[in-house]
Amino acid sequence: MTRRERVLAHLAGQPVDRLPLMPITMMFAGSLIGARYRDYCTDYRVLVEGQIRTAEAFGFDYVNTMSDPAREAADCGAAVEYFDHQPVALVEGQSLLADKARLLSLKVPDPRGGGRMHNALKALELYQQRVGKEMIIEGWVEGPIAEAADLRGINTLMMDFYDDPAFVRDLFAFVIEMELRFAREQIKAGADIIGVGDAAASLVGPGIYNEFVWPYEKQLVDGIHALGGRVRLHICGNTRQILEGMSRLGCDIIDLDSLAPLTEARQKMGPDPVLLGNLNPVTILRNGNPDDVTRAIAECHRQAGPRFIVGAGCEVPRDTPHENLRALCAYAHSHRP
Amino acid sequence: MPDLKQLYDAVVSGDAKTAQLITKEALAAGIDPLKLVNEHMVPAMDEVGRRFEANEYFVPELLISARAMKGALELIRPLLIARGDKPVGRVAIGTVKGDLHDIGKNLVASLLEGGGFEVLDLGVNVSPEKFIEAVNAKQADIVAMSALLTTTMPAMKTTIDALTQAGVRGKVKVLIGGAPITQKYADEIGADGYSENAVGAVALAKKAVGVA
Ligand code: B12
Repeated sequence: MTRRERVLAHLAGQPVDRLPLMPITMMFAGSLIGARYRDYCTDYRVLVEGQIRTAEAFGFDYVNTMSDPAREAADCGAAVEYFDHQPVALVEGQSLLADKARLLSLKVPDPRGGGRMHNALKALELYQQRVGKEMIIEGWVEGPIAEAADLRGINTLMMDFYDDPAFVRDLFAFVIEMELRFAREQIKAGADIIGVGDAAASLVGPGIYNEFVWPYEKQLVDGIHALGGRVRLHICGNTRQILEGMSRLGCDIIDLDSLAPLTEARQKMGPDPVLLGNLNPVTILRNGNPDDVTRAIAECHRQAGPRFIVGAGCEVPRDTPHENLRALCAYAHSHRP
Repeated sequence: MPDLKQLYDAVVSGDAKTAQLITKEALAAGIDPLKLVNEHMVPAMDEVGRRFEANEYFVPELLISARAMKGALELIRPLLIARGDKPVGRVAIGTVKGDLHDIGKNLVASLLEGGGFEVLDLGVNVSPEKFIEAVNAKQADIVAMSALLTTTMPAMKTTIDALTQAGVRGKVKVLIGGAPITQKYADEIGADGYSENAVGAVALAKKAVGVA
């Protein structure tokens, strides 16, 4: 079976020859081809080359388009800063919605309007030509709280939940409209799966998550499904307190960070959802040795059970020793679900 | 005479309006401003820290409580200055070079203000040169550094080395923190103190300037 068939069959609950392998690489992939990270973020050809070469070198089942959280915000007109060797970053001191009233006049940018979103679409089209028959192609959108934080400033948004709940809902609604437009174009351009990154969700408790964040995450997940896409949800950080809500979103893959125990996730989510993760990317993958990695990923597999995809808890760090990543991959290559 | 328990409650629940209102009333009633801080606001922030550790509070709650405390402090600080009270110390705080995470750093800065320190917030992505400048030009007694990335932790050592090179290491205490930092790491790079949370950071800073 091809890598693409393997992942799709596994998601559909059909038998597969081995565990699927889908770790997140960004800066690692840029470094592997000797590219400046600035170029990886801004030139789709560099991103595609980095992803395909990394996937080939380590035997991944997929490629992705994620590079930094600032694609959509940049196209909205937010101030962003580019660094040679770091991800593109929002300038929080000059956030686009420092003045809340600006939301009223903010227009959803055209994903094909020649900006950073367009660049991601070109990456997908190039993937489609180069590896579309063979590998899973994964696009990427920011989730409601992550993108709202990018537009408003994360420190301020955290207080908006208490100060101005109506504004937060309007902002989340804007974000969902934008992300669904972006997702639609990504699926048209060839994405099989849409990754949804909602990092800031790990900062709020279950009260705010269930009341504000969940309903919009749900709209996004349902919207992507309606467009014919599959969803991989990734929330960086400690999500223990919101696992129950996450399980009710109906995502195809729930990608957990190392701070959220897989045993607990499995207990709360039941036997069906496919879990991905959640090896500690720093202490084990980067700082450990190949034996540590093998032991840790075997334990993840044991905790998650057969509905499992191999990956790390978050991005594979740039300076991860290749033999460690190879050990992670070898586990997937040699084990059935 | 206002009920000062309400000040405590307002800070714990992040109600900035009430915190300011009670503070105003208390000051008008002639209550010692320092007593408001030490006996009501600081214990309130300790309780906030406790709730955070216990997973009852999360980042939004921490931030609104810190804001309520700061709002009340703004009313109190001019009075302390007018009567000649000196800040317990001056802290230059920032997130180290290459690192843009600032939520934790902001909380530490707020609580240090609550603890009576004058705080120079240098922001994020702060180079060693900027820390040195704050020590030289602004006479900071304490340099406080935050890092959230394993890849930016070494910038703490670089900054300490640069302070030594600049001949000012002896003049300041260096405190460090952030999720990946450990006491062991602090010892290795020759920092004077580490704390895993913002409440602990204040105790540490007080100890560093000899007021605790
Ligand atoms: C929010 C967040 C972001 C936001 C930051 C927004 C902002 N303005 O701060 C954004 C989206 C920008 C971001 C970007 C990135 N992030 Co980030 N982020 C987080 C997240 C989810 C929360 C951090 C946080 O605010 N915690 C809450 C605060 C209150 O806690 P705290 O900072 O630890 O502070 C407390 C204590 O540590 C202490 N303290 C803090 N400072 C100090 C200082 C002193 C002197 C003392 C005494 C105490 C002290 O007191 C505080 C209060 O109790 C964490 C995951 C997590 N949940 O930890 C990842 C995380 C820190 N990020 C990570 C990564 C990898 C990144 C990126 C590289 C990702 C990418 N490829 O885009 C970029 C890097 C950008 C850069 N150059 O800095 C990793 C770091 C891994 C590692 N160990 O190296 C984490 C752990 C996620 C993960 N599992 O991979 N991130």
